[in-house]
Amino acid sequence: MTTTPATATTTAVSVQNVRKVYQRDSLQIKVLDGLNLEVPQGEFLALMGPSGSGKTTLLNLIAGIDRATSGRVLVAGTDLGPLSEGELARWRTRNVGFIFQFYNLIPVLNALENVELPLLLAPLSRRERRERAMTALKIVGLSDRAKHYPRQLSGGQEQRVAIARAVVTDPTVLVADEPTGDLDAQSAEEILDLMQTFNKDFHKTIIMVTHDPRAAARAHTQRHLDKGVLTN
Amino acid sequence: MKYAPLVLKHLRRNWIRTLSTVLAMAVCIFLICTLQTVVDAVNWGLHTGNASRLVTRHYVSLVYNLPNSYKAKIAAIPGVQNTAILNWFGGVYRDPKDFFTNFAVEPEPFLQIYPAIMLPEDQKQAWLHDVRGCIIGPRLTERFGWKLGDHFQLESFIPPYRVGKPFDFVVDGIYHTDPIKYPGTDLGTMYFHYKYLYEATGQRAGIGTLTELIDDPKNAGSISKAIDAEFENSDTPTKTETEQAFRAGFIAMAGNLALLLNAIGLAVAFTILLVTANTMSIAVRERQQEIGVLKTLGFPSGLVMALILAEALLLGLLGGAVGLALADGMIHALPGIPFVGDVVRQFPGLGLSPRIVSYGLGAALLLGLLAGFVPALLAYRARITEVLRQV
Repeated sequence: MTTTPATATTTAVSVQNVRKVYQRDSLQIKVLDGLNLEVPQGEFLALMGPSGSGKTTLLNLIAGIDRATSGRVLVAGTDLGPLSEGELARWRTRNVGFIFQFYNLIPVLNALENVELPLLLAPLSRRERRERAMTALKIVGLSDRAKHYPRQLSGGQEQRVAIARAVVTDPTVLVADEPTGDLDAQSAEEILDLMQTFNKDFHKTIIMVTHDPRAAARAHTQRHLDKGVLTN
Repeated sequence: MKYAPLVLKHLRRNWIRTLSTVLAMAVCIFLICTLQTVVDAVNWGLHTGNASRLVTRHYVSLVYNLPNSYKAKIAAIPGVQNTAILNWFGGVYRDPKDFFTNFAVEPEPFLQIYPAIMLPEDQKQAWLHDVRGCIIGPRLTERFGWKLGDHFQLESFIPPYRVGKPFDFVVDGIYHTDPIKYPGTDLGTMYFHYKYLYEATGQRAGIGTLTELIDDPKNAGSISKAIDAEFENSDTPTKTETEQAFRAGFIAMAGNLALLLNAIGLAVAFTILLVTANTMSIAVRERQQEIGVLKTLGFPSGLVMALILAEALLLGLLGGAVGLALADGMIHALPGIPFVGDVVRQFPGLGLSPRIVSYGLGAALLLGLLAGFVPALLAYRARITEVLRQV
C-alpha cells in the first residue's frame, strides 16, 4: 500500500487531476475530466449536479470500487491507483462505509446479520462480531429490530440498518449515494439526522451524492458537478 | 466455518428450487450407484471364477446338450483330475417371482470340484443317498422358511425338462461356505441329483455343461485344446474355456452390460449437470446485486466465488446423500421385484460397497462443482459498478 503522510493528517480525500473515460464499443464517453477535489477530515460534503454529471462515478472512485483512467485518488493517505483488486478489497473493508440509495441489504439475513457481514472479514470472534453489530444497531436505534429481516422493516429502518452496516467497521470515510432518494420526507430527515450525528459525534468524513437541496443543506459544503468538472 | 450460515441461508432462500435441484442430483446419483452396483456384481461373478476349473459346453450354444458319453472321454484326457455335470435346470417354485437358481449336478464329484459348497457330513451322506434330495443355500431358508426334511416342487421352463408334472424335492442339506477362503460364493442356489433329471426325462437329458478340475491352471490352455480337439470332427463339437471366461461369455450374451449401464449413467449425469448448471446460473443471476454489495463491503472476488462454489458443492453433497439412500433402498428392494428380482438374485452379495458410496459422493460433488463453476466464475469476474448499475 502507498501512503502519503503529508496529506493523511489533514486531508481525508484527495482527488488529483482525475479523468474517467468509459469505452462503449468504439465510442469513448468522458465522465470526469481532470477533476480535482480535496476533502478535509471530518468534512460533510454534498455532491450535487444533474444526472450524468459524474457524481456517482466520482463517489465510486473515492470508495475504491472503480478506477480512474488517469490521475490519482488518495483516501485516508492511501493512493488507490497501484492497489491490486485484492488489496483494494481489503482496503475498502477497513476504510470505507458505503450507503446505497436502495439500502441493498441481503434479504436472507436479518438486521443483525446484515450489520455483521463486513465484520466477517475481520479477525474477530463470533461473540465480538455480534457485540459490535449490536452496538451499531443501538446507535441507529434499531436494537429491538435485530432479528427482523429486511422485508419486515420499513424503508427508513432498512436504510438505518444499512448505515449501521456501513459504520460497523469504524471506517475513515462514509460515502452515500442518494441515501434519501427512496425515502419519504420524515424518514429522510431521520437518516440525515443520523448522518449528521456520525459526522459530529463520531468525526466521520461523509461524502454524499444527492439531488435533494434539503439533504444537501445538512452538509458543511456543497460542490456541484457538471459534465465531469466541478463548477464551484 | 464463519461463512457457513451465509451459504446455508442462501440455499434456504428458494427452498422449492433447492429441493428440486437436490432431487435432480439425487436421481442422478441413485441411477449411477444402482447401475454401478449391478455392474460390480456382474464383474464380481467373473473374478471369483476358479482358474483350476474348465467348463465344456456345446460349441454352438448352451441351448444344446452334449452326449453323456463325453464325460468319460473327457475324464480320460491327461491333466483332467475330475469332472462333474452341471445343468441349469430353470425350475420355478410356485410363481415366476419366486424364482431362484437351481442346478442338476453329480453330487459327489460336484462337492469335490466345488469345495466352497460345504455340508455337515450327515447332511452330505443323506444327500448322496437320496436321489430326490437337494441341498440349498441359507438364503433360500431365509426366503422360504425351508428346513431339513421339507418337501417342495419345481417345474422347469426348459422344454426338454418339462415332463408333464413338477419335480419333487426334499431338503437333505443346507450348505454353507468359508467367506474368507471363498468370497462371493452364492448362498442362494439349490443343487439336486442329475440322475433324477436324467431318469425323469426318460434318459433324454444330456450334459448342459461339464466342469473339469485340472491339475495345474498353467495347463488350462493346452487341456482346453485337447478336449475340443477330441470332438472337433464329431456331430457335437465342444467349446472348453476357463470358468472365468465361461462366465464372461455367459454375461456377454446379454450384450456389453457394463458399457450399456455406464452409458445410461453418463447420459443421465450429463442431463442433470445441464439442469443443475442452469439452476445455479439463474440463482446467481438473481443475486447480482448482492454480489456487488459483498464486493463493495470488501469481500474479495475469490471469496465470493468460493461461497457460490460452496453452495453448489453443498447441493451436490445433499443430492449425493439422498441419491445413495435411494440406491441403497432400491438395491435391497430389487430381489423382491417380479422378473427383475429373478435376474438380480443371480448375483451374490448385491449391496452398496464403500467404493460405490465414494464413487457416488465423488460424482455428486463433481456435478455440484461443474454446475457451480461457470456461475461462480461470472461472480468472480463481475465488476461492482456494472452489477450495481443493473439494480
